[in-house]
Amino acid sequence: MTGLSRRRKIGWLVVLLACTGLYAALHFRVNAVKSEVRLAERQVVQLEEERLLLETEFLTRSSQQQLDDWNEIEFGYKAPRPGQYLENERQLAAYGVPRGVDAPQPVRVARSDVPETGSEFETMVSPLTGRPIDAAMFGPGRPTLRTVARAESGPARIPLSAVIDGSEQ
Amino acid sequence: MSVTAARLAVPTGRVCLANQRSHSLMTARWRLIFLLLALLFVGAVVILRIAWLGVVQPGPQQMTMAEALLPARGEITDRNGVPLARAFPARALWYNPDALGDGGTPLVKSVREVAERLAQIFPDLDAGMLEKRLASGKPGYIRRRLLPDEADKVQALGELALELPTERDRFYPQGSMAAHVLGYVAADGHGRVGMEDVLDERLLDPARRGEPSALSIDVRVQGALEDELRRGMLAVDAVGAAGIVLDVDTGEVLALASLPEFDPNAIDEEGQKLMFNRVTNQVYELGSTFKPLTIAAAIDAGAINNLSRRYSARPFRMGRFTIKDSHDLGASLNAPEALIHSSNVVTARIVDDIGPAQLKRVMEDLGMNERPYIELPARGFPIWASGSWPRLRAMTVGYGHGIAVTPLHLAGAYAAMVNGGIWRPATLHKLGPGEAPKGRRVFKASTSARMNQLLRMITLYGTGRNADAPGFRIGGKTGSAEKPGNGGYQRSSLVSTFAAAFPMDRPRYVVIAMLDEPKGTVRSSFQRTAAWNAAPVVGRVVPRIGPMLGVKPDSTRDIDLTDLKPLVRGGSE
Repeated sequence: MTGLSRRRKIGWLVVLLACTGLYAALHFRVNAVKSEVRLAERQVVQLEEERLLLETEFLTRSSQQQLDDWNEIEFGYKAPRPGQYLENERQLAAYGVPRGVDAPQPVRVARSDVPETGSEFETMVSPLTGRPIDAAMFGPGRPTLRTVARAESGPARIPLSAVIDGSEQ
Repeated sequence: MSVTAARLAVPTGRVCLANQRSHSLMTARWRLIFLLLALLFVGAVVILRIAWLGVVQPGPQQMTMAEALLPARGEITDRNGVPLARAFPARALWYNPDALGDGGTPLVKSVREVAERLAQIFPDLDAGMLEKRLASGKPGYIRRRLLPDEADKVQALGELALELPTERDRFYPQGSMAAHVLGYVAADGHGRVGMEDVLDERLLDPARRGEPSALSIDVRVQGALEDELRRGMLAVDAVGAAGIVLDVDTGEVLALASLPEFDPNAIDEEGQKLMFNRVTNQVYELGSTFKPLTIAAAIDAGAINNLSRRYSARPFRMGRFTIKDSHDLGASLNAPEALIHSSNVVTARIVDDIGPAQLKRVMEDLGMNERPYIELPARGFPIWASGSWPRLRAMTVGYGHGIAVTPLHLAGAYAAMVNGGIWRPATLHKLGPGEAPKGRRVFKASTSARMNQLLRMITLYGTGRNADAPGFRIGGKTGSAEKPGNGGYQRSSLVSTFAAAFPMDRPRYVVIAMLDEPKGTVRSSFQRTAAWNAAPVVGRVVPRIGPMLGVKPDSTRDIDLTDLKPLVRGGSE
């Protein structure tokens, strides 16, 4: 009976110690994670401050006055003139030269209206495989002129694969 | 024997048991006492610790990430979100001679060496002065606002006495641009002069300062206006210049410039002197720029119902004064010609037709009798004659004398004249769609349409020709007024103004350029009047700002002038 009681006591003690150990381990783990979070937060704040500083420095170096000076002195830019703008097709057509007296007749070609749904041209296929040459170009996910023109970064260039999507016009 | 033993055994066993029991009780009591003592000790330690934390140790400076990222003072941006003023953590260089704490010399290296090394890092500091400063042993700032790499170099010197405390700094990335609009933040942390003062409470409120405050200013327009005004001011050696670009439909101020400007990043005594805002605070007699307002009042009141009617242009006496023009303009002029050639005489005669009371009412409707409506704290009160006006007063006001207002008053009045007749208060806050104030009607829409034609004619055929940028359909009026001084007007000092709007076929913006005391120079063909100095400024500003504001130059469009062209010389062909 006494032996049993002692064993039980020891058992309880072991359980207690194990629980305490587990708790301590968990506590340390939680504190470690907390401190990692704090460190990460501090890094975020530090990086944000650094970003703010760099952005402000960039803004200062590219201040309006500085840009004006560069545009005028370095590049010689001038304010736009009316000749640089076209309002409509009529103004564009005004640039055409009237046909001279002895000029040949312009070449006229016959054309027929095609239904809007059908493709005007047949799909270009590879002579070897018989499949479309560029699936990306003619596939459903092809880049449209509008999506290409909307891209913010990079040079203003319209890739050859960009086609005007009739539905977006 | 056995009985005795048995008798003895029982009491002995009982005694033992009692002893054991009392011993156990004692042990338990002692344990309890030990436990209580331990608990008391722990409690006392805890209480002492709490007392120590509360009394001796300063509170922990822990901030959450959100608090750390919240700026100390809110950001101010332009209408497109470009930062104009922002607070960011900066480092300063502070000299603390007691940093080593051993009572010896404050610096590890020699004073001369440290001074020279610091002068290498900051080339604008004088090594000799710095040496004296360090040797004096007084704590103080050596420099405010260090760049990070400069701070690193100072740190690399290894001197504990050179401390780099973090400070909250207010910085204006655009430098002196729009300084009069923004103002600055004084050492007490509160704004002064401009919108820093107006928005002070909002910029410091923790709940609202995370969001930037957007102004109506467009930094590109402001830059172009200041650039051209500065160039115009220097070309004619003027003492100052002022300019404003105003949206006629909302009253938003897109640019407001007062030159010479100050640098809000470095406020010194000279900067303090330049904080005076010429656009909102200084009142000027703006001269002939008032003539279109007078003509508009006359058309509106029905005093002019036939624009071809001719008025005598001969000088005439009015009490002690003679009303005359700067040069002979012929025997008679009609109203469009009076505007084109800027005739005081004909304007005075038209004022006579309207009557002083009507002119005064229109001027009051245009807000000329009160401080200008804008958020800025510095707003000048016009020199305005109260009571009923005599004929002479009305006549002089008709051509912009005897009344002194700020350029902002004039911009607001021109906006009302060209936008269909609605006067609106000017604002420096960005307005969203549909937030424009309702305003009050001053002119009929038909009067406004007629005035748009007349203003355009002034730049096509009259004194405003130098402002006519091709394709932008600018319309406007020059004004050159002598400044009042001791004992009358000073012939030597002028205020020349050009008040314009564009594009006249559908006016969207009013542009005012004003030069204070311009001189006759080679650039202005030795002329001092607005046609030669202020008008070209507008002529250069509009092509720069127009395309940014959505007004494309188009030489195929213009306001229809077919009914008025035959009335003026040079317009009929």
